[in-house]
Amino acid sequence: MHTDLRQRYEEDLALVRGFWGWFALAALVVALALLPFRAPGYIVFTVSLVAINAIIAVGLNLLTGYTGQISLGHAGFVAIGAYTAGILSGRLGLSWWVAWPAAGLVAALFGFLVGLPALRLTGPYLTIATLGFGIAVHQVLTNWERLSGGRMGLPVPRAMFGPASLTGEQRLYILAVGGAALLIWVAYNLTRSHVGRAFVALRDSDIAAEVMGINLTRYKTLAFAVSAFYAGVAGALFGQALRHLEPQLFTFFESIYYFAMIVIGGLASIPGAVIGAVIVTILPQQLSLLREWVPIIFGTAIILLMALEPRGLYGRWQRIRLYFTTWPL
Amino acid sequence: MVDLAQYIVGGLTTGTLYGLVALGIVLLYRSSRVLNFAHGDIATLAAFLGFSLVLRLQGPALIPLAVEATWWQFLPGMAVSVAVTAALAAAFYFLVLRPVKEATLLGRIVVTLGLALALNGLVSMIWGADTKIFPFPISDVRVYRLGGVVISHVGLALTAAGVTLMVLLYLLVQRTRVGLAMRAVAQDLVAAQALGIPSRRIFALTWGLAGALGAAAGILAAPVTLLNPAMMLDPFLKGFAAAVLGGMDSLPGAVLGGWLLGLVESLFAGYISFAFKTSLAFLIIIFMLMVRPEGLLGREYRRRV
Amino acid sequence: MSRIRLWEMALLVAALLLPAALGQAQERGVTPTEIVIGSTIPLSGPAAYWGLGVGGGIDAYLKWINDQGGINGRKFRTVLLDDSYLPARSAVNARELVERHGVFAIVGMIGTANAFASRDFILESRVLWITPTTNDIWAGLRPDRKKYLFVTYPSYLNEGRILTQYAAEKLNTKKIAVFYQNDEYGLGLFRGVKYGAAAAKGVQLVGSASYELTDTDVSAQAVKLRSSGADTVFLAATPSQGALIVREMAKLGWRPQLLATFTLGDPIMFRLAGEAWNDVYAGAYFLLPGMGDARIEETLATLVRINPQLRTTPYNALAGVSFVEPLVEALRRAGPNVTKDRVVEAMESLRNWDGAVARQITFGPNRHQGLTRIYVVKASGGQYVKMTDWISYQPQF
Repeated sequence: MHTDLRQRYEEDLALVRGFWGWFALAALVVALALLPFRAPGYIVFTVSLVAINAIIAVGLNLLTGYTGQISLGHAGFVAIGAYTAGILSGRLGLSWWVAWPAAGLVAALFGFLVGLPALRLTGPYLTIATLGFGIAVHQVLTNWERLSGGRMGLPVPRAMFGPASLTGEQRLYILAVGGAALLIWVAYNLTRSHVGRAFVALRDSDIAAEVMGINLTRYKTLAFAVSAFYAGVAGALFGQALRHLEPQLFTFFESIYYFAMIVIGGLASIPGAVIGAVIVTILPQQLSLLREWVPIIFGTAIILLMALEPRGLYGRWQRIRLYFTTWPL
Repeated sequence: MVDLAQYIVGGLTTGTLYGLVALGIVLLYRSSRVLNFAHGDIATLAAFLGFSLVLRLQGPALIPLAVEATWWQFLPGMAVSVAVTAALAAAFYFLVLRPVKEATLLGRIVVTLGLALALNGLVSMIWGADTKIFPFPISDVRVYRLGGVVISHVGLALTAAGVTLMVLLYLLVQRTRVGLAMRAVAQDLVAAQALGIPSRRIFALTWGLAGALGAAAGILAAPVTLLNPAMMLDPFLKGFAAAVLGGMDSLPGAVLGGWLLGLVESLFAGYISFAFKTSLAFLIIIFMLMVRPEGLLGREYRRRV
Repeated sequence: MSRIRLWEMALLVAALLLPAALGQAQERGVTPTEIVIGSTIPLSGPAAYWGLGVGGGIDAYLKWINDQGGINGRKFRTVLLDDSYLPARSAVNARELVERHGVFAIVGMIGTANAFASRDFILESRVLWITPTTNDIWAGLRPDRKKYLFVTYPSYLNEGRILTQYAAEKLNTKKIAVFYQNDEYGLGLFRGVKYGAAAAKGVQLVGSASYELTDTDVSAQAVKLRSSGADTVFLAATPSQGALIVREMAKLGWRPQLLATFTLGDPIMFRLAGEAWNDVYAGAYFLLPGMGDARIEETLATLVRINPQLRTTPYNALAGVSFVEPLVEALRRAGPNVTKDRVVEAMESLRNWDGAVARQITFGPNRHQGLTRIYVVKASGGQYVKMTDWISYQPQF
């Protein structure tokens, strides 16, 4: 109970608090570092996929949870990142370390462009615009064969680094989990800065925010650009995971799944986004043996989760903690 | 010239379906601001239910491949299916959406997503993943000819049925007390409650009505699109787009949006490109929204700060 | 503002991964009493129709082999994982099949993206990979990497070409148009038709119309095809849209000669397209029920007896059997001492081998495409009738 008392502003903002905070962080780091060398390949691969989805979820959360802009076309940004990295490293032979950030930046550019109409549109109208964007990306990638290889797909060369004894899964893991850790840290800092506060102000009341001097244009497009950057980076990693890109990987359904991730985990909360990514990625996979039952169970699980805890899983966790913190009140 | 007319006819027929779907979406959105992602799958469920009912009415002796059903077999099947689906939708509202006290809007939307997944899986599991034919009293291949333009009996019947439903809905919403209550709740929930309107009952009714509309859309679409678990995926997406185009709080807008979208799509597909027809349709919608952000017939959006 | 408790996140993540971590990796696929065969196929989602049929067929057939005593004293255990047609799931499933379930061979896989997403892993783990149902999976591979990959699935390109040439010779086709699904499958067939039209004398490719897998309205495509003035239309489609376009054409009162790819050689087309399906010429790569082949009829009856659900997908179930049969025969030939390399040798020893469904399968050290022939059928009175003998083409790898 006493650990919840804060005496200085810095303590309130701090990312890691107290002895147990640092201990937990160290334990997590050790666990994640050991995993690729101890666990079987398919687990390493699955965790990498979870990390990739976590990056997308955290990015989308910045846009939807913190800034209140509903985006149903996020798979489009992921696709742009994936294909950018694939084309740069594959067809143009550039190094992965160039292609990867480039993927994020190109996606961010498109994010900015999509953010522009967002200034005029709200609510379901914005949703349609983002939906249309996602569909347009999918159709362009399908039909512009010179660029994307069309339906025949685009092979993605492997990013080679480190000792040759590493397996493909381990390399992917290092990139994915490392990238996720870095980007999550950045997201935490972002939300605690003036930018994060501006985002939240936009969500809660954009007119009031503008009245207070927050530049609507700048922050809305920034939110889109940043979340698109995250999606693009993750897309490039996704290309590394599958080694073969097809437009079919980035449809409306994928956008819906990303959306579900952040809501199930808890909006406007970074741990929530990660939890949501974990659940939406792993649950259907674990149920694979149940075949036709999978969508029914998964769908029902979503209904129950949201009906019982609309604030998402992290919200429920916070309530549990609050209960124990304030006990016996 | 004949081709142009043919594209127009095709576009309007499909547009009626889009409009029906859009009506269900708009109805719910107006009153509760919830985007119902399960709308398409509710329609699919209704179509399959109707399919089984009509088959049962046709009798066990007949090979279950008969494509034509009589009116006596079709109408009861359709009526029961619509009623059951409406009841299910209302029940969903009562059992799932209403009890949740601090539901955020996005949370409720994701609940409908879960429902969509579950319904889709259920339909696949019960009826199988293969495509089937929906027995319909009107043959699919007989046509009317007007000049060089061909209008199929089925297409015409479906359009007529769709328009009839739209008119009935209009009468319900505009000319009855229940409709008045629905409009009141949609406009200002708290004020309506203060005036003694039983808002929970009205919401349940709205969900039931939306479910019925979806069911009708599904059953009317089935003879043309063939029956399979994914049959309403595309119409749902287009219906959603049509609803936005017309204005999310305007029922006539939904209908108009549906026809416009169907028309634009058909013409684009025929004259420019099949591959891009969906994205071009969305592009047009987005441009339209930039010019008029609340949709064609939507009311201008005033918010309190 | 949310507070961060990293240990909470760690705990949750660990809790969710724990069940997966507890699964033990097994010996790779062969024990004195059993052989483990795996597959990742769409058992739910948009492609469930094929997954349930093909997977069901494979499963039922292997059960039948087990009922007869198995192969050289070993029985089969099948592990079918659902990937819901999602390539990312296929990639994970492939790894689970190999590392967690320890399969000896992976049979089938549906979807190009799905196969490609898993390709590198499967080839590197040197598991036997039998007939992923896609073309070009072998493209760009070094010879040593193709060692464990065997395919008995027809080539879209060649089918398109052969059917077009047949139509030019026997059906007096002069102008042909193509209705195609906008993906690798439809595009492959389209290219084949182009080659066929170029090779046949006097045949012009006059138009085309594409559709997306989720499209439910193809009326515009029908109008476009009609306006091209074609006398023949090639359907590079799957059953739903194949039926839809035929009905739209019937509505327009336009009845061109119709050619169809083997996927539409599924008897379900008679139900879906009704009378409009008569006089359609399609490709086929195994003998169909109703053609009077006793082994086919017997096999189908057995499959349905073991799994009654297969009654609704006889075509795909038989296809599944055709994929796995060569492997079973190779296991028979390899004898009691089963290793991967011995099975590869046994596969490569198959020359014009006839199974119950798969016929005239030929493999060799440099030839891992075992099926290189199709024949033409005609839809007539609710049945498919054999119109030609087998037409062969060159193996592609």
